Amino acid sequence: MTGGGVSSLRGRGLPLLLAALLAWLAGGFAAYKDYHSPFPPPGEIRVPPQGAAGDMFALAFGARRVFADLWFVRLLQYYGTRELSEEEQSEAAGLHEHGHHHEENFGGGKYPLFLSMSRHILETDPGFISAGLYGGGSLAFNLARPAEAEELLNYGLRYSPKEWKYLKVLAAIGYSKAGDPAAVAEQIKPLLSDPDCPVMLKQLAAFLNKKAGNYAAAAAIYADIAATSRDAVYVENARRELSRLSERKAE
Amino acid sequence: MKTFVPLAWAVAANSFAESVRHRFFTLFTVFAFTAIYASVLAGVMAVDEEARVLADLGLALMELTTLAYVLFQASSSLLKEAETKTIYLVFSRPVPRGVYLAGKMGGVMLTAAFMLGVMGLMHVALLAFRGFPVPAGYGWALAGSFMKLAVITAFAFFVSLFSTSAVSTLVISGIMWTLGHFVSETRFMAEQASGFKAALLKGTLLLIPNLQLFNARDVMGAACSITPAAVFAGAAWILAAYFASLWLLAGKEF
Amino acid sequence: MTTNAVSFAGVEKTYKRPRLLGAVYHTAVQDLSFDIPAGEITGLLGLNGAGKTTIMKLLTGLLFPNAGTVQVFGLPPSGQAAKAKVGFLPELPYFPPQLKPGSALAYYGRLSGLSGKELSLAAEEALQRTGLEPHADKRISEFSKGMLQRLGLAQALLHKPDLLVLDEPVSGLDPLAIHDIRKLLAGLNAEGRTIFLSSHSISEVEKLCGRVLIMVRGRLAKTVTRAEWEAAPGGLEAIFVEAVK
Repeated sequence: MTGGGVSSLRGRGLPLLLAALLAWLAGGFAAYKDYHSPFPPPGEIRVPPQGAAGDMFALAFGARRVFADLWFVRLLQYYGTRELSEEEQSEAAGLHEHGHHHEENFGGGKYPLFLSMSRHILETDPGFISAGLYGGGSLAFNLARPAEAEELLNYGLRYSPKEWKYLKVLAAIGYSKAGDPAAVAEQIKPLLSDPDCPVMLKQLAAFLNKKAGNYAAAAAIYADIAATSRDAVYVENARRELSRLSERKAE
Repeated sequence: MKTFVPLAWAVAANSFAESVRHRFFTLFTVFAFTAIYASVLAGVMAVDEEARVLADLGLALMELTTLAYVLFQASSSLLKEAETKTIYLVFSRPVPRGVYLAGKMGGVMLTAAFMLGVMGLMHVALLAFRGFPVPAGYGWALAGSFMKLAVITAFAFFVSLFSTSAVSTLVISGIMWTLGHFVSETRFMAEQASGFKAALLKGTLLLIPNLQLFNARDVMGAACSITPAAVFAGAAWILAAYFASLWLLAGKEF
Repeated sequence: MTTNAVSFAGVEKTYKRPRLLGAVYHTAVQDLSFDIPAGEITGLLGLNGAGKTTIMKLLTGLLFPNAGTVQVFGLPPSGQAAKAKVGFLPELPYFPPQLKPGSALAYYGRLSGLSGKELSLAAEEALQRTGLEPHADKRISEFSKGMLQRLGLAQALLHKPDLLVLDEPVSGLDPLAIHDIRKLLAGLNAEGRTIFLSSHSISEVEKLCGRVLIMVRGRLAKTVTRAEWEAAPGGLEAIFVEAVK
C-alpha cells in the first residue's frame, strides 16, 4: 500500500477486484491440476444400516479416516456379539469360549453383515490396511467365507494396488482352499512383523505352526501377541498357549 | 513496505492477544482438551487399533475446535470493532486499510496456529501416556489443518465485509468449508456428466477452494505431504480473499 | 502553503440505508463550506442530528463526501499524510476493559508509527498530561467515565498531532473533570495546535473557543466569532437559539 490512502484505493477498485478474481482462479487451476483423490468416489459407498449420516459427515468434514475408525469399532462390536450357534458349536467341539477369538476355522456364527461392514470401512478409507486384513482374515479363516474374503481383499487392492499384504493373504486363502496349512503359514509369515498385521492373523499363524509341529515358531508368535496386543482375550489365550507349549517342552 | 510489516504486526499481535484473553477461547480450549481425552474411550474400544483411533480422533477434534473459534473470530472481529467504534481510533490514524486487514487476518491465523500447537502438544502427550509414538505424517496433518483454516479464515473475513450479521458469515463460511471437502466428489460428477452440466460442475471446481488438497490428516502415512502446488493454491486463495476484502473495505464508511 | 487547518468547500454527505424494496436516503450535510484557521480553537454547535459527527468523520477520513472537497492542511483527509497530523477523540471511546491504560496507548502509539523509547515516552507523557498517571496500574474496567474520556484524549495526543478533532470531549463529565480538560486543551492550543471540538454545552464552547460554527439540519446556519457573541445581548446562547429556531 502506498501513502495514497483510502481515496486512491477506491480509485483502484476494479484492478483490486480483478486481482482477486485472477488469484482465486489461479488457486483453483493449480488445485485442479495437482489434486488426485486417493478415495473411492461416493457412488461406490454402499450405505449400510445406520451409516448414511456418518458417511455424509465423513465427506463434509474431510474426516474419512475418523469415520473409518468408527466403522471399524462398530465391526469389532458386531463381531464380538455372541450367537447361539457358536456357543453350541463351541461346547460340541470342546473348545474355548466363542466370540471372535477362535483358534480354528470355526464356522464362527453367521454375521451376515460382516462383508458389507468390512467393505464399508475400505470404501470410506482404502488406506486402512489393517482393517482390510482383519476383515479378509476373519472372513476366510474364522467365518469360512473365502469368496467374500477374496471380494474384500480385491476391493482393497483396487485402491491400494501395491499393497503386498493383501496379495499374501489372498495367496494364503488359495492355499487354505487347497488344504495346505504349511503354505498358508508360509504366506502369512512376512506379515507377522508388520504393524498392520491384525492379531487374529498372528493367532492363526501360531495355530498353524503349532499344528505343523513348529513349536518354537508358534511360541515366538504367541509371545509377540502377549507382548504387543491390547486385546485381553487374545493375550490371555496366547499366555495359555505359551504355558501349554512350555509344559510340552518340559515333558 | 517499510511501514507495512510493523503496522500489520502491531494489529496482528493485538488481535492475537485479544483472542487469547477472550472468554470463549478458554471455553473452546477446555472443550478441546476434554474431547481429546474422551477419545481415549473410543481408542480402547478399537483394541489393537487404539493408536490409530486416538491419533485420528484427536487431530479431527483439534481441527474442528480451531475451526469453530477462527470462524467465530473472523465473522465478528471487524463487526465488533465497528460497533464499539474502536475502528475510529484505528482508521483516523495513518494506518492503511490494507495493513489493518492483513493484521486482522494474520492475528486470527496466528491464533489458529497457537491453538493447534498447544492442543497438538497435549495430544502427543496423551499418545505418549498411552504408550504410542507420534504417528508418521503428524506434522503434515497439523500443517494441512492450519492451511485449511487459513484459507477459510480469509474467506470468512471477506464474507463478513458484506454480510448482514456474524451469524450469516458463520453459516456461509461453514457451507464453504463443507463444499471445499466435496471437491473431489464434484470432480467425479463433472467427469461423468456432459454438456452444460459438466461445464457448470467444472466451473464450480475452479470457484470452490479444494480443502482436500491440505487434508493430510485423512491420508496420514507415506503419501501425506502437502505439495508445493497445494501451498501455491492455498496462498493464492488467501491472497484473493485478501484483495477482495480490501476492495470492500476500501469503500467502507464508519 | 495554506494557513487553514481545515477547509470544507461545497461538501455534501448523504447516507443510504437499504430497505427491503429500494433504499432510504438521508442528507446529513449539504453545501457546507467553511475554513478553520490553523492555531485556533473552533467549536461546532448543533442539535442532535445536525451533522456534527458527520463533519468530524469527514475530517478524519472515516466518511467520504458525495460532493465537494475536504482538506486537512491542504491534504485529502483519507491520506496517510493528513492522518499523521490529526488526533481524533470520538464520542464515548471504547477500550478493551482488561487492559491497563499503558498497554492501550502502546497499541495506538504503534499504529501512529511510534516505537521503542519514543513510544514509551509518548505514552508516559500522554498519561501525565491527561492526569491518568496515578491510575496507570488500574485496569480500564475500573475507570470512571471521566477517566475513560481522559484516556481517549491521551490516545489522540500520542503522536503530537497538529490538529485535534474532539467529538463531545466533556460529555458526561463532572465540573472538576471539565475544568481539567478545558485547561489541558487551552495548554495544547497555546503550543500551537489547532483544536476543533463539537459539543452540546454552549457554556463550555464559550469559555474555550475563539469561533463557533452553528449547524442546523445539515447546513451551516451561522459562523460566530468571540467578539460577536461577547457583544451580543444574551451571548452565544441567544445567537444559537435564534439560529436553530
